[in-house]
Amino acid sequence: MTDELQQPLWELDNITKVYPGVRANDGVSIALYPGEIHALLGENGSGKSTLIKILSGVQQPDSGAIRYMGKEVKLENPTAARRKGVATVFQEFSLVPTLTVAENIFLGQPIRRGGAWLDWKRMQQQAAEILRRLEIELAPGRLVGELSVAEQQLVEIAKAIHTDAKLLILDEPTTALGENEIKALHGLLRRMKKHGVAILYISHRLDEVVGLVDTVTILKDGKVVSTREQTTLDVNVIIQRMVGREIKQHYPKQANATEDVLLEVHHLSSRGGVREVSFKVRRGEVFGLGGVIGSGRTEIARALFGVDRLTDGEIYVDDKKYVISSPRDAINAGIALVPENRKFDGLFFNFSGAPNISSAGLRQLVTAGMIQKRREGIMARHYVEDLEISPNAIHQLVLFLSGGNQQKVVIARWLFANSRVLILDEPTQGIDIAAKVAVYNLINQLTAEGRAVVLISSDHNELIAMSDRIGIVRSGSIVEIRDARDVNHSHLVQASAGELGKSNAQGD
Amino acid sequence: MAQRSWISRVTQADFVGPLAALLAISAFIAITTPGFLDLQNFRNISLQMAVLAIVAIGSTVVILTGGIDLSPGSMIAILTMALAVMIKMEGWALWLSLLLTLVLGGLLGAINGALVAYLRIPAFIATLATLSAFRGISLTIAGGSPIFQLSEDLRQLFYGTLFGIPLPFVYVVVLYLIFYVLLDHMKLGREIYAVGGNESAAKLSGINVARVRFLAFVLAGVCTAIGAVLLAARLNSGSPNYGDGVELQAIAAAVVGGASLAGGRGRIFNTLIGALIIIVVQNGLNLNAVSTSMQNLTIGLIIVVAVGFDIWGRPIRQWFGGLRRATA
Repeated sequence: MTDELQQPLWELDNITKVYPGVRANDGVSIALYPGEIHALLGENGSGKSTLIKILSGVQQPDSGAIRYMGKEVKLENPTAARRKGVATVFQEFSLVPTLTVAENIFLGQPIRRGGAWLDWKRMQQQAAEILRRLEIELAPGRLVGELSVAEQQLVEIAKAIHTDAKLLILDEPTTALGENEIKALHGLLRRMKKHGVAILYISHRLDEVVGLVDTVTILKDGKVVSTREQTTLDVNVIIQRMVGREIKQHYPKQANATEDVLLEVHHLSSRGGVREVSFKVRRGEVFGLGGVIGSGRTEIARALFGVDRLTDGEIYVDDKKYVISSPRDAINAGIALVPENRKFDGLFFNFSGAPNISSAGLRQLVTAGMIQKRREGIMARHYVEDLEISPNAIHQLVLFLSGGNQQKVVIARWLFANSRVLILDEPTQGIDIAAKVAVYNLINQLTAEGRAVVLISSDHNELIAMSDRIGIVRSGSIVEIRDARDVNHSHLVQASAGELGKSNAQGD
Repeated sequence: MAQRSWISRVTQADFVGPLAALLAISAFIAITTPGFLDLQNFRNISLQMAVLAIVAIGSTVVILTGGIDLSPGSMIAILTMALAVMIKMEGWALWLSLLLTLVLGGLLGAINGALVAYLRIPAFIATLATLSAFRGISLTIAGGSPIFQLSEDLRQLFYGTLFGIPLPFVYVVVLYLIFYVLLDHMKLGREIYAVGGNESAAKLSGINVARVRFLAFVLAGVCTAIGAVLLAARLNSGSPNYGDGVELQAIAAAVVGGASLAGGRGRIFNTLIGALIIIVVQNGLNLNAVSTSMQNLTIGLIIVVAVGFDIWGRPIRQWFGGLRRATA
């Protein structure tokens, strides 16, 4: 642990920031020490983002002091913060997909050789050097657009710290990462910590925070509700503080599985890389798909939903055989897909809630060629009440809804389309704990109604707790199916990591 | 939940900006230019705007899907020539010639649609190609010379009146109503907005994205054909030189009316307001004997200012929106 006598590298003292109608930060104080990993936790809207924006010079506090090595400073813009060694990795990626890894790392601060000429050779060399130092196995000449999300995340970090970073701020760096990538990232952070870098780490996933960080600060409604002295690193205590009430069960699993088979898949293979996949899901059952990112879980979902062309296999829903060659066919068969990336694949941001919900089952609302908008409104209101979606969803563009509400809107779409089998691909990614629990309750509601759920999740605790059975996916095939209660964390990691020859290099 | 007051509903409505701009511009011209407020001038404006307003419907539909159509100007050249040949050289009945012209417009639109939706050539490139190709085809019809004196009945389609109302005005109103119903109340319209808003989500909602894109171009072709018929009727002739630059004015009308070139956002009646703004400005400049080059320059300025207002206005509106939510 940190020496208490040491001077903090950065100190925020009584910071307040007010936006129209909301006190985003209300007298927040926090101290960051060199060589310490400091977690900043809180639900969405608790003020975490505002705080890191202030610390990285993107926004100015209305009152309060920022101190750097004991001296009060003003961070008027991001450049000022960067000059003082603050490197921030924001949630939204800031990489240019058509440029190489090296070009991205030096974007904005290129090395010149006399006048306007850029020194590409030295940038290549230095990029390679940075990647080597961080133990990131990536060729600096590769195009960023061709990298996986996880690799892009690592490039993002390399870009942030290539200047001599003394403070690294990470805003939910693991949302898109799998278990192994998270391990690699944590290894990287521990090494940086040893070199005396201060790290501010923001995450929704409490399980990973516990093993990694030295101190925890919890924000709620713009105020610090727990400081370094008071916090013990106990998940239940943290959750309680964050939500402000005790959540009885983080995973309120109901066992609703029946004996009655609803979805049957035989020898499914697809152009997307799915190979010989067979499984059954019963009415009321949650069938989990576990495995690392890139193992083929999402591809199985895409094949079932008619997005990727099938090359072989048969799909039965309720004992009836369906030929599925487009999403429309899948929808008609009663299969639904809630995609991994609701921002890019799920929502119509130009619509309010009602047309978002009706989009897959619009036919039901059409009489004599006309969409019955009154019925559409009634339908939307019904789902808003039933799924406890924010009432604003009816009139407001879904753009303005929280992540949890957005996810519920996408799920409501499939309920309206009378889907019997719902494939949920990372349904709780990037939403806060209260919203996660709401999604879990929704899964219970779906299974209680006799629907079947195929759950894809990289959060192992969630996958094990919410599934009835789990299929472990490797290289596009299901290698093993087990009862969820017989599966544990290390089992999932081991079983799915078989394909990663280098996984032993990431051990601690 | 608080019911939204009618004041906030009116001020939030998306036609307010363009309509206010139209009224302000009209007021300014009315004050500075004698003759603008004459009944005869209003008649002129309604005649002048018909072709543009109708072609702009098609452009808006394509823009709503996230595409763009650069070919209507050249399409008009082919269509007026084809109509002229059918009436004057083949001597076919007017109704048959008109019908075939509309079908031909739909077919030309289908060529654009097939290139974009099924061969997946970006709309800008595909219609840039047909912009050139269609003009070329029009020059091969009847040796490329204009055909005059088509038919008095055809002329009456433009210069006639219905209960004293100029017919072009009637066409515009009827077509805009039809497309309002299509876009706002029918499945295809909803799908057009969905494809433009988020193609991937549309696909995953079971919408046949390629079909929607294709049909949007077919509709644009039919709208252009109606515009071409009116132009041929007005000038009682067909020519491979007709329609030059109409596509840009039609796109400008949609954009000035607030349609987003990214797709998914825009209202059909706003396009009508956009077309009116362009025509009213042209009319005002004409009355003041301003040269064509200066008119083009002015329209360029209008586009920049209109889009600028939309973009600068967004943070302001969001701020007010945030305030209202916070106090609700």
